Amino acid sequence: MSRSSTKFDMKKVQNSELVTLTYGALVAQMIKDMDTTEDVNKQLERLGYNMGIRLIEDFLAKTGSGRCLDLKDTADKIQTAFKMYLGVQPNVANWSAAGDEFSFILDTNPLTDLVEIPEDLKNLKYCNLICGAIRGALEMVQLEVQSWIVQDQLKGDQNTEIRVKFIRRLEDAMPAGED
Amino acid sequence: MAVCVAIIGKDNAPKFFACANPEEELNFQYKVLSSLDIVEEKLNPTVKTSTADLRELYLGMLYSLETHKIYGYVTNTKIKIIIIVDSTNTSLRDNEIKSMFKKIHSEYADVVCNPFYIPGEPITSKSFAMNIKSIMLQA
Amino acid sequence: MTEDTLFELLHSEVVHYALQNDERSNQDEDLSIIEYIGFSVGYRIIERLTKDMSRFKDELDTMKFICTDFWSAVYKKQIDNLRTNHQGVYVLQDNSFRFLTKISNGKQYLEAASKYVAFTCGVIRGSLSNLNISCLVTAEVQNMPSCKFHIQVQRT
Repeated sequence: MSRSSTKFDMKKVQNSELVTLTYGALVAQMIKDMDTTEDVNKQLERLGYNMGIRLIEDFLAKTGSGRCLDLKDTADKIQTAFKMYLGVQPNVANWSAAGDEFSFILDTNPLTDLVEIPEDLKNLKYCNLICGAIRGALEMVQLEVQSWIVQDQLKGDQNTEIRVKFIRRLEDAMPAGED
Repeated sequence: MAVCVAIIGKDNAPKFFACANPEEELNFQYKVLSSLDIVEEKLNPTVKTSTADLRELYLGMLYSLETHKIYGYVTNTKIKIIIIVDSTNTSLRDNEIKSMFKKIHSEYADVVCNPFYIPGEPITSKSFAMNIKSIMLQA
Repeated sequence: MTEDTLFELLHSEVVHYALQNDERSNQDEDLSIIEYIGFSVGYRIIERLTKDMSRFKDELDTMKFICTDFWSAVYKKQIDNLRTNHQGVYVLQDNSFRFLTKISNGKQYLEAASKYVAFTCGVIRGSLSNLNISCLVTAEVQNMPSCKFHIQVQRT
């Protein structure tokens, strides 16, 4: 079953391309299903959260990481996770004076590759999936955080900046739950 | 350089049109539309008039006029791309035309990957239009 | 390999999203949402996959491409068996289908399997549709993780 004349380079189709297209199709479907862009944003965050609580297990198993020493350490580990799962390494920057807030700065973002947001969807937070994934993953290691998008290349900003704010350490292991 | 690039959908309706000189647009639209019959003919294996390799996406020159030459390319998904070149431009080689088509096809494939672009609709993306213009001017 | 994890997680979220929607009451409609998302992915990705390829000779040539290069690109392996009646029916068998390998075998799981094949039915239909072959695609799971995809070409 081979096409002899085919010159086909399989490496050209990275899995990230599949992820990008599948995510895009899902977002488009949600926009069709839901009344407001705000609802879509929330749903995307929740979806990311669900993925985050599963991703962290995979991450811990593959890297053999131990407990995070401090928030700086946490930031470094998430940076590694970006590299592992999205193939890009963001910069960790813009630490707050109190050391409880920082940003990931992405020059390129495979998730938004080739995406152009139409004028009437300017409120769409396309990358909310990432914020949700960070929140979900950290909750599994007893860290409650908030995460949101500060700058967005899809809106014409130079970079994409994702802010993470430490809220508190969760004392008891939370049961794994879905929103 | 090319003076006109057109992308024609499966249904033979234009999806995108770019001209170096906007005043000539109507004139070129007419040329593009009349070239589509030749494209169909070239793709039809029962018509033995063409000796060209059917497996090749690039169809070569479709026809030439005193003033212009019209080239064609059809993707596996039956999207037609037409390029019009000035006849006075003799420096442009076949290979260069072919590579221009490849680049335009690549740009088109990228547009299709935008989840907010509905396949079959006219292409309105500004960045797409800019990229095509720069491909037109490059060669 | 790690990108695989991400795609698999995203796929389960697509399934999860379609099934949780309360406004649509019946399961067929939910499955058709999953199928449609797959359709969109297939329709778009095929434009890129066939970009640098020579023109397909005929329908069978296209199906062979789906079984080999296309399947490898999406599912990391080739289709194990392709059969056709040469009248527009093609059966593609994958003995270890990616989205089923992690589900346990057993009758009760077999019923759940339809959720995990809908996306792929859509991907196949979308790809072929953009290649101007309009068809119906259904999946048959008898023994996990093996799966048969039936393609029925619609002649006009």
